[in-house]
Amino acid sequence: MKQAIILAAGEGWRLRPFTVSRPKVMLPVAGKPILQYMVEALAQNGIRNIVMVVGYKQEQIFDYMGSGEQLGVDITYVAQKKRLGTAHALAQAREVAQDEFLVLSGDKLIDATTITRFVTVKPESVLVKRVESPERFGVATIEDGVVKGIAEQPKEAGSNTVITRIYAFSREVFDYIETELAISGVLNKMIARGKPLHACETDGPWLEAVYPWDVLSLNSVVIPKARAEMGGVVEKGVSLKGQVSVGRDTVIRANSSVVGPVVIGDGCDIGPNACILPATSIGDNVIISPFSEIRNSVIGNDVAIGTGCAIQDSVVGNGCAIGGHFTALSGEAEVKVNDVYHSVKLGAMLGEGCSIGSGVVAQPGVILGNYSEVQALKLIRGRLPDKSLVF
Amino acid sequence: MCGIVGYIGYRQAQPILFNSLLRLEYRGYDSCGIAVSADGVTVYKDAGKVGELEKKAPRLKGAAGIGHTRWATHGEPNQVNAHPHCDCSGRVAVVHNGIIGNYRLLKKQLIAEGHRFISETDSEVIPHLIEKYYQGDLEEAVAAALKDVEGCYAIIALADGDPNLVVAKKGNPLIIGIGDRENFVASDVTAVLDDTNRVVYLEDGDLGVVSAAGIKIMRDGREVAWEEKKILWSVEDAHRAGYEHFMLKEIHEQPRVIRDTLIGWLSSGESSGESLVDLTKMQGDARPLTILACGTSYHAALVGRYIIEDVLGIPVRVELASEVNYYERLLVGAAAIALTQSGETADTLRAMKRLKAAGCLLLAITNVVDSSVTRIADNIVYTRAGPEIGVAATKSFIVQLIVLYSLAILSYKVDAGRLTDLVMELRRLPEKLQRLLSGKDRIKEYAGYLSGYENVFFIGRGINFPVALEGALKLKEISYIHAEGYAAGELKHGSFALLGENTPVVAILARDNTYGAMLSNIKEVKARKAPVIALAEEGDDTVSEFADMVISVPEVDALFSPVVNVVALQLLAYYTALERGCSIDTPRNLAKSVTVE
Repeated sequence: MKQAIILAAGEGWRLRPFTVSRPKVMLPVAGKPILQYMVEALAQNGIRNIVMVVGYKQEQIFDYMGSGEQLGVDITYVAQKKRLGTAHALAQAREVAQDEFLVLSGDKLIDATTITRFVTVKPESVLVKRVESPERFGVATIEDGVVKGIAEQPKEAGSNTVITRIYAFSREVFDYIETELAISGVLNKMIARGKPLHACETDGPWLEAVYPWDVLSLNSVVIPKARAEMGGVVEKGVSLKGQVSVGRDTVIRANSSVVGPVVIGDGCDIGPNACILPATSIGDNVIISPFSEIRNSVIGNDVAIGTGCAIQDSVVGNGCAIGGHFTALSGEAEVKVNDVYHSVKLGAMLGEGCSIGSGVVAQPGVILGNYSEVQALKLIRGRLPDKSLVF
Repeated sequence: MCGIVGYIGYRQAQPILFNSLLRLEYRGYDSCGIAVSADGVTVYKDAGKVGELEKKAPRLKGAAGIGHTRWATHGEPNQVNAHPHCDCSGRVAVVHNGIIGNYRLLKKQLIAEGHRFISETDSEVIPHLIEKYYQGDLEEAVAAALKDVEGCYAIIALADGDPNLVVAKKGNPLIIGIGDRENFVASDVTAVLDDTNRVVYLEDGDLGVVSAAGIKIMRDGREVAWEEKKILWSVEDAHRAGYEHFMLKEIHEQPRVIRDTLIGWLSSGESSGESLVDLTKMQGDARPLTILACGTSYHAALVGRYIIEDVLGIPVRVELASEVNYYERLLVGAAAIALTQSGETADTLRAMKRLKAAGCLLLAITNVVDSSVTRIADNIVYTRAGPEIGVAATKSFIVQLIVLYSLAILSYKVDAGRLTDLVMELRRLPEKLQRLLSGKDRIKEYAGYLSGYENVFFIGRGINFPVALEGALKLKEISYIHAEGYAAGELKHGSFALLGENTPVVAILARDNTYGAMLSNIKEVKARKAPVIALAEEGDDTVSEFADMVISVPEVDALFSPVVNVVALQLLAYYTALERGCSIDTPRNLAKSVTVE
């Protein structure tokens, strides 16, 4: 297998506000977008010819991935103009597909081990994995290594083996797409017409972000594996413990304490007397002012955090400016997404470009929409839409 | 990033090499060179773009050769450091893309063994290593040399009397193009597509032997079968990374290049080693600081004037370099800033020489390392926009602004509170631009509207007056629509006669002391029935009562409004030109840098 087609056109609306300006595959985890982990996994397995089917906010992918050179791969982009489904997305790559290729759904977080065995299988094959709650996925019925049927998000799963949305196909697959919109429909058609569909099981990582707070759990899985690199300046009296990665031109000022696993990007200005605790990832060009403590959180690029803030189990979007003494402590919260309540332990989810005045308190589980403005000393809670004004 | 190429076959190598290098200019263009082998290896290399070298290069005879185009980020792009590099005897020539991690050690060993090094590059160790191991077989020598090397590379080696090119790849891209009785090697497919669409992609660790008759690929010491790929897409598609034009790609790169430019300085002094010049010390006396520039850079300079005067209270005079050259009495101050993207603008260079002769202290701001301006100036600040391919300047302009902001703000030492606010605003600019870019659909729609007209006015006041000039220039450059940039208050001194239903006016607003006056200007324009497209901050409800169409840009401190406004106007010009079917990346009659007066 020499070629991979990555489906990266989706929006991921349940992840809003984090997907308003970027596609789901570009969600950052430990300083890199999910998509990059997939591309790196492919490159490590010797697959360097990569086709990306893009659509929603595709420029974000172009800007970050470029021609793939930085990652040692060749990327060809194919546009899916209307987002009608995964099979429709795959059909867009018909012109550039080789005789045999992998197809991967780009919104899954994997590493090289997930697909090591799979890159050598013969088409048509499906990578499957055992999971704890199969009801969310496509559940596969397998006999003697051959898939006999796939049930999408069944009420009662007959097995706990699900399809990972990673496939090995030959060009024949295009003949089965016809009017099917989803790949699982195509697979069922293959099975119905007697085309053998082999199952190959993986025990490597395979994770997905479905809701905004999943960014935190993905981050905490990946961050311990991040390479520890020291690119910046660490002033006297700073305590660095555990695995800490510091980007170029970043300054960590006197008496700060950083306890890994922590990833800090380029050009940040941290401290003096700041406290960064596990498992936190911080983007590029971020200011963290004195006496602030950040724990188990994901901070985006171009963020400024004022003095004396306490931020736990939180996600802060790109370009937020947060005044002094902002508090986002973690707690049990009932968070509503798409009319369904989820019970999670969470701090605050802040969208991009928000301005938050000093002394604001965020209740556990608050989701603040992009480009919102919160005046000083306010309490925010619940779900606030994009461009909210709290005063 | 650098680009490398190779040719071996029956034709003269030189024109083929230069043509391929031209295709790789997106990888860098500050110095380049070729080596051709016939009776002995001849090398021709120098600082400068591929096109310039192609013109002045002597005809080197030979049907086998290698070439290189370079983009220096560290070290000077000069003749000595340009590739190809040779061994002591001049019989082996090598082009290299990548970084040799252990070159200091290797160089020391090789010098101890009697090898002579000429350049400061890491790459030069490779030809010397090959010389060391050469015993009549280039392939064996290259294989042995690479065993000593740590780092990443794509290389092509050529040796006098050897019938092959030997290539190797680890970490950097390299492909072989298959021709008929001839073969090609290059950093990427675009370089060979004029001659062949049959290519072989090399894998990391591969060593290839390429002759006119065929190719052989060795992996882990064994010959492996290679797989030929047919390339179906055209050259044009390749390096725009998904975008339809380089210009759009470069517009979208702006948040990142701003971040890259800021990162070096804001946290620093301490970390990056490169520090900005203190403008307050540079000025020296009570006379104004002069900024010299041409074209788009002149507009950046005009914005710079507002920035420096506002932040630092230093008087600034902005001069078109082409005019300064004809002032009979040169009444400039003690210090001047020269603003040139390419660093080669002939008018600016000449003006700088005149100023220097008059005893003026010169600071150059340029995007090209070691370009001509840097040899004249006393101080140099580099913008970090990377190579810009689209002829219409976009990211290089924005980065010029960012450097001017940084220079002014980091020279400011009066009020720590204000300094913090300004730095914070500066740091948030990348995200603001990203937001503008992701909401560009509205701009596309208005561009469709604008494309139907032949005359457009751009008006602005204060710090956004130069933005009006730049917006008009961008539209003229790529869409060929006649556009005029005006200070809004000047419209009534004559140009009103030209306004009517068929002359749309683009009005640029900012929330500063000009806002009220701009609204009155829009009213005046509307009274002449001219359609008005207003550029205004998000959440500005007032302007929509006056203007026909409103382009909303993210809210920023008025001092920084040119950054978001210019990007909105770049997009407006781009989509207007696209709608009119213009050749956006290479507009008619224009060249990237003007090196004649």
